[in-house]
Amino acid sequence: MTAAVLSPPRPVVARRSSASLPAQVGLEVRKSLSTRSGVALVAAAALLAPAAMSVAVASADGPLSSPTGPVVVTGMLSVLVLLALGVLSTAGEWTHGSVQTTYLLEPRRSRVLVAKALAVAAVGAAVAAVAAALATGVLALFGPAVPFGGIGTALLVVAIAGAAFALIGAGVGAALGNTPGALTGVYLVNLGVLPLLQTFQPALADKIDPGNAVLSLAQGHQQAQSITVLVVWVSVALVAGAAMTRRRAVQ
Amino acid sequence: MITVSGLTKQYGGRTVVDDVSFTLEPGTVTGFLGPNGAGKTTTMRMVAGLVPATSGSALVNGRPYAALPNPGAVMGTLLDAAAVHPGRTGRTHLRLIADALGVPADRVDEVLDLVDLTSAGHRRIKGYSLGMRQRLGIAAALLADPPVLMFDEPANGLDPEGIRWMRSLLRDHAARGGTVLLSSHLLGEVEHTVDRLLVIGGGRIVADGPVASLLGTDGVSVRAADPGALAGALTAAGFSVTHGADGALVVSGASPAEVGAVAAAGGHPLTDLRPLQRGLEDVFFSLTAA
Repeated sequence: MTAAVLSPPRPVVARRSSASLPAQVGLEVRKSLSTRSGVALVAAAALLAPAAMSVAVASADGPLSSPTGPVVVTGMLSVLVLLALGVLSTAGEWTHGSVQTTYLLEPRRSRVLVAKALAVAAVGAAVAAVAAALATGVLALFGPAVPFGGIGTALLVVAIAGAAFALIGAGVGAALGNTPGALTGVYLVNLGVLPLLQTFQPALADKIDPGNAVLSLAQGHQQAQSITVLVVWVSVALVAGAAMTRRRAVQ
Repeated sequence: MITVSGLTKQYGGRTVVDDVSFTLEPGTVTGFLGPNGAGKTTTMRMVAGLVPATSGSALVNGRPYAALPNPGAVMGTLLDAAAVHPGRTGRTHLRLIADALGVPADRVDEVLDLVDLTSAGHRRIKGYSLGMRQRLGIAAALLADPPVLMFDEPANGLDPEGIRWMRSLLRDHAARGGTVLLSSHLLGEVEHTVDRLLVIGGGRIVADGPVASLLGTDGVSVRAADPGALAGALTAAGFSVTHGADGALVVSGASPAEVGAVAAAGGHPLTDLRPLQRGLEDVFFSLTAA
């Protein structure tokens, strides 16, 4: 240890105020991508859709009338992975304790959650769009002949879904403050409860399932209802996250 | 400067911090001493705004921590060295903090060098020892060279050289006008580092003052040519005298001047006269025994 260097060689001039919101969003993006788990999740999300499309193309036995269905369905696989990215951005910090550093640097917890939400939404949208674009590329190169007229809408919908699902994960993660619990919860609901509901109460499931909402949005059906479903899921998750985070002691 | 007034924390019906008040002035190192569960860490977490107080207030440089414009640049805090993402490298961890504080990126290299982690900066934190994590936490607290430092058990995991270095660091910080609050259960560490002691027990401040005054005296040890005659004179003068195992007389509650006066008045030649000073450990346990 450098015992002689007890004071800095020159004065350290820190910013006079907290980081701006865009700067905090940038920091949160860097945080998400500064660990192997974060990079692995992003890579998995980006590659899952084209991988699934490869399998679909290899097993396809007829022409397609539109690329929208295959692109959105395979894109949703990537979007489901982005749920975990959102969970890790919030619950992960509570689980391994680094939330302490976060709140020592920015004690305004609502502002931290807003920055995290914007960061995961941006990353989620970008990764989902890349995944869908790669899946589209696989379809174009190796799939049956298909008119690509509506592909822009499909890519946009997958990007929106990526942002929405990452936000839902972030909200649930913030609400529970526990990574295993939050991951179990979001995947149990999306892959267990909602499919079961689809089997036994399809009318109700159609009204509340965010996955169905994404598919309907891409197909141009019930767009207002689909957007409402996604907005409600995101809002409920984020409000719950904000409420639970507000006064939770950092131990 | 840290000002704490009537700080209280209750969990359910249990009071873990009870009406704690103190003011820490610039230029001082204050030790926060108490047994496990006494309320040290909870008090420090309330000062940093991490745990909401049930009542009372804590101000850092005149404002609640959360109301400071860039709080990490005002108070450098080390509460839990393990509270880091184990998958990041030490350098990345510090660079993220530096960017949040708005300090130049090359300051990261300075503090890594300061805590002797330059060669380990590229390694993931999960491979760090407890001492290395502690030094990383100290580096993070020093990034903005803040005027106030608050460290919770910073000596944990440090080797003797590291403890000596940290002691110099804190003394130097105070000498430059900084305010330091340092908690520890290592009594010797506190004794040699701090100007002032706050002793907390059962959630309440049970002693507050300079180390020397808290140690105080506990009577006098005296040797005389004729111990029996001196003991008789002291007893006649109203003092309580016991015979120590080494042949010295122990006069409880007396000062050396009082014992010397009795000896001189009776013509008793003395061969040794010294105050009995209590060890910090004795003081600590007597104050926190309840």
